[in-house]
Amino acid sequence: MVSGGDVPYLHVVDDDVYRDWESVYRDNVDRLYRLMYARVGNRADAEDLTSEVFSTALGPLRLSSSKGQVRAYLLVTAQTVLASHWRRRLGQPVTAIDPDTDIAYLTEPSAVEVVSDAPARARKILQALPDRYRRILELRFLEACSIKEAARSMGISVSNAKVLQHRALRMAANVDLELGP
Amino acid sequence: MSNRRLFAFVDALATGRRPKRFRAQPEDADVLRTAIALRAARPGEAAPTEPFVEGLFQRLSEQAKSPSMPEPRPARRLRVRTVLVAAAAAGLLVAGTAVVTEQLHHPAPTSAAAHVPQGSQLRTGTFQTTDGQVLGQIVAYRGHPSWVYMNVNVPQYDGTIECMLQVDNGATVAFGTFTVHGGGGQFSKTLSEVNVSQLRGAKLVSSTGSTVAAATFAR
Repeated sequence: MVSGGDVPYLHVVDDDVYRDWESVYRDNVDRLYRLMYARVGNRADAEDLTSEVFSTALGPLRLSSSKGQVRAYLLVTAQTVLASHWRRRLGQPVTAIDPDTDIAYLTEPSAVEVVSDAPARARKILQALPDRYRRILELRFLEACSIKEAARSMGISVSNAKVLQHRALRMAANVDLELGP
Repeated sequence: MSNRRLFAFVDALATGRRPKRFRAQPEDADVLRTAIALRAARPGEAAPTEPFVEGLFQRLSEQAKSPSMPEPRPARRLRVRTVLVAAAAAGLLVAGTAVVTEQLHHPAPTSAAAHVPQGSQLRTGTFQTTDGQVLGQIVAYRGHPSWVYMNVNVPQYDGTIECMLQVDNGATVAFGTFTVHGGGGQFSKTLSEVNVSQLRGAKLVSSTGSTVAAATFAR
């Protein structure tokens, strides 16, 4: 078995390893950022959390580990970093990283392919909403309109636009829950 | 619930600003999650910018060169380097410059006032056989949640391995079982019943009940 003298002094490791920490960084920074962006929805936080993951993980990193092991370690670190972020920011775990399912973000040839599910899911949510609810959310979240611009576009007051957006988001959240993970 | 604060958070998301903190209620989470999902679907904004990627690389480079980073213990470093250098010389190991670290962590400053885990929050150990051969590494993180991650390279072994955690009072706790394929395996799990600061070590046990390797957490 594996104990004592049965273990060869030198062990063969997977050829698929990183040669240095820079290659760890270059291979994973884009993927980790995209994952964080999908979980927080804004660039500033995604950048900070991505920085925190690398800053935390690179110290204890063992480069002789396989790429798969390194990515799994980065993902577990990202899980903790994101959980801490939501605890500080809102006191509620709004989104999370699941190392079992989200590993695809780090292992797919292009992380874009994984994230590309986001527009399709958003379309499904929006299509399930009444016209006015769908329109206010499209204007705000997809077309980058301010609340004033959205109100003007829909011919309603800013106050009404705020109420409409709130109700639309509530209904969209229910649709999102019905769609499942 | 504060609808005003919830609106402000959502408004910041929609307009691409960093949302401000507030004490959200559980029922707000679904709305915020959906707002994030809609925002993340906006075309062309999911990729990192070049200045961010290069700026972070520079900060991490400086962090890696920082003289304040503690050195691994000389004795263990010598032992591990002996193995790694010998392996590299034999053409078997690509990453010949790697060393096992002991409680390394001095984060580079980030643009946010985020809490980065400090050294005391991360504890590491090296899995070794009874004759000192290195088979892997274990990392324990104390936080919310706490977790343990380990990877092992056990030559010519396929099968399950059980991880036992040893705590300061001498008790041993079964932590979990994972599968090793072709000698390689990794395992991670959140840790809720044991305080990370009270961990003494870990032991890997094969499916036949024999001890594969043990690790002692650095203080």
